[in-house]
Amino acid sequence: MRTRTSAASQQLACCHICLKLAPQDVQDCPRCGSPTHLRKPNSLQRTLALLVTATLLYIPANIFPIMITDQLGTALPSTILGGVILLIELGSAPIAAVIFIASVMIPSGKLMAMYYLCWCAHKGNVKRTKSKSVLYRATEFIGKWSMVDVFVVAILVALVSLGGLLSIQPGIAATAFAAVVIITMVAAESFDPRLLWDEMENTDD
Amino acid sequence: MTNMKPDVSTKKGISAIWIVPVLAAVLGAGMVVFSYLNQGPEVTISFSNADDLVAGKTKLKLLNVEVGQVESIALKEDLSGVEVGVRLNKQYTELLREDSRFWVERVQIGAGGIRGLGTILSGAYIQLAPGQGKAGKRSYIGLETPPQTRAGAPGVRLVLNASQAAIDVGNPVLFQGYQVGRVESRELDEVTGKIKYGIFIDAPYHNFVNTSVRFWDVSGISINASAEGFSISTGSLESIISGGIAFQSLPALGKGLPIKNNDEFWLYESQQASIELTYEHGTYFVLRFNQDISGLEENAPVKYRGVSVGRVVRIMINEFAHMDDRRHGAPIPVLVYVEPGRFGMADSLESIDFIKDEIQENIEHGFRGTLQSGNLITGSKYISLDFYHAEAPVEPETFLNYPVVPTIVVGLDSVMMSVSSFMNKLDQLPLDQTVRSANDAITELGNSMQSMDNLLRARETQEIPEQLSQTLSALRVAMQGISPDSPAYKELLASLVSLRTTLEGVSPDSPIYKDMESTLYELHKTLQNMDALTDSLKDTATMLPRPREEDRIPEARN
Repeated sequence: MRTRTSAASQQLACCHICLKLAPQDVQDCPRCGSPTHLRKPNSLQRTLALLVTATLLYIPANIFPIMITDQLGTALPSTILGGVILLIELGSAPIAAVIFIASVMIPSGKLMAMYYLCWCAHKGNVKRTKSKSVLYRATEFIGKWSMVDVFVVAILVALVSLGGLLSIQPGIAATAFAAVVIITMVAAESFDPRLLWDEMENTDD
Repeated sequence: MTNMKPDVSTKKGISAIWIVPVLAAVLGAGMVVFSYLNQGPEVTISFSNADDLVAGKTKLKLLNVEVGQVESIALKEDLSGVEVGVRLNKQYTELLREDSRFWVERVQIGAGGIRGLGTILSGAYIQLAPGQGKAGKRSYIGLETPPQTRAGAPGVRLVLNASQAAIDVGNPVLFQGYQVGRVESRELDEVTGKIKYGIFIDAPYHNFVNTSVRFWDVSGISINASAEGFSISTGSLESIISGGIAFQSLPALGKGLPIKNNDEFWLYESQQASIELTYEHGTYFVLRFNQDISGLEENAPVKYRGVSVGRVVRIMINEFAHMDDRRHGAPIPVLVYVEPGRFGMADSLESIDFIKDEIQENIEHGFRGTLQSGNLITGSKYISLDFYHAEAPVEPETFLNYPVVPTIVVGLDSVMMSVSSFMNKLDQLPLDQTVRSANDAITELGNSMQSMDNLLRARETQEIPEQLSQTLSALRVAMQGISPDSPAYKELLASLVSLRTTLEGVSPDSPIYKDMESTLYELHKTLQNMDALTDSLKDTATMLPRPREEDRIPEARN
């Protein structure tokens, strides 16, 4: 077995479910019977499509109010960035930082990172592939944490419901934001990081 | 099994997954388009300031239904106010009419009560009052104060002019004490300097208003002390506290004509003032007073025998100060205004001429003005015109081209004058001396009384009545002595009879009488002869020779 050769180059496909290597001619995994592919089918296209969707959804998620505070009959809508600015004005810089990191930096960072990885995989750019892998792992890891905003809204809506005095309703942006997070997670999932390495093998040969 | 090569799809097709972003994009674009198409019109409303307004938060409401929202607040270029951009919901576009009105609804504590209490909690909002005019207007000037009447409410709007701003916006307009409308606006007219109230009378009560209606101010308690006396008038408790306007029809003004919107009326200061009829025509006279005129004020009544015929316009102090003869106690001129309409004469120019001629003519017959006290408590006075035929006629004169009615001092004033002069005389009386001598006289009288008393108590005095009775009884005895049966009486009677016969003897027909007469005639004749004798005696006496020095024989001359 040579090192730095991929299974795909040996015509071995990896089962998605039980990770058994099987020859590519065999359509289904001999162990668990699930379909096998050399690489995730249409990985880049899927990832890109989902990224575009997430990007599109990211616009209303930031423009529309994520939360509507209904205080004594006065509806007070607040967007994500508006909330951050409000918190800074109120002097709660740490909370503002948490919200800003979780709701603004991470989703947008994820999107950009995924675009970059897609672009690299597509172009066959093999520089610093290791760090790209780290980036991908980090993206996958941190994706689930960017739901903090949605959770905050959900908890507040459930807790703060004092009828006419004060009540909080989720805005349309909460839905959009949740969709952004989920779709980026799916996009990260549908990305095949092995694509980053395939080109390297070609250049080695 | 001939071809065991697997069917590897290596085609670079477009994956179906792209439907997802396309769908998202379409949905997003659809939402954008939909919201754009559903976007209502934006209106610009000018306010003097942006109090309580928050961009993106303040709502535009109609009947407490949200119809739009403030989107932007910007200063005007000349900093004279703010321009508020409001986005209306599309379905309410029709609310924007030519005469739609906007104002900020906030808490207001006024005479009419507290309004907009809810805005403390909900925050201020812009209220929209829909109009009836042409649609399509997009720029409005907001009202600084909320209008008091619902737009399009049936009724009539009137303008009241007043000299005092004593009434607040929102105060009631009362008819027979019942609220039929309210004050909508109040402003100071920059030209006339009068206060202009805009009032609204609700239908159907606006039918009570016609041209023969008078409005007056019922704010507070009106206490009026004039020459007419005291009068206190109040409205309802609410109007005392917060003020209000009342009106009533004046039958004297005849049947009124219907009114229309924005007709102007005068707001009188009190009901009393509103009842006073006004006449178009009047004429001025001057009365010059040579007495103290304190208590005579402007608008004091001028009466002819108790009937009010005019009023005092002013005391012409300025003209008085510029008069040449203001020294030496010149009379103070008072300008009065007399309206012939009050006499029941026609309110016309002819009546004025007639009155002028009448007064000029009557001055010769004792027509005079006097100053009378109308009210002793307040000391206010009025001018009374009347005839005093005993007065000496005076020449008609004019003062600054006003005809002058001469004045005299009568009534209480003249009484006062005589009382004061009497008091002066009384002051000058030697009262001390008088009292002293009176005291002496009284003492003397006491002494005399005492001696009289002593006299009466003396024994001799006590005995007088007894002696008197004795004398009377003696007299009675004497009288009895000459009673008709007594001899004395008979004797007396006989002597009287003989006396009568004697007298009858010498009656003119008796011989004795005739003898006496002839004797007397004889005597008379004799005396006449004696007279002649004495005369001749006197003559003969001169014949006697008597030497006299004057009768010397003249000597011969050599």
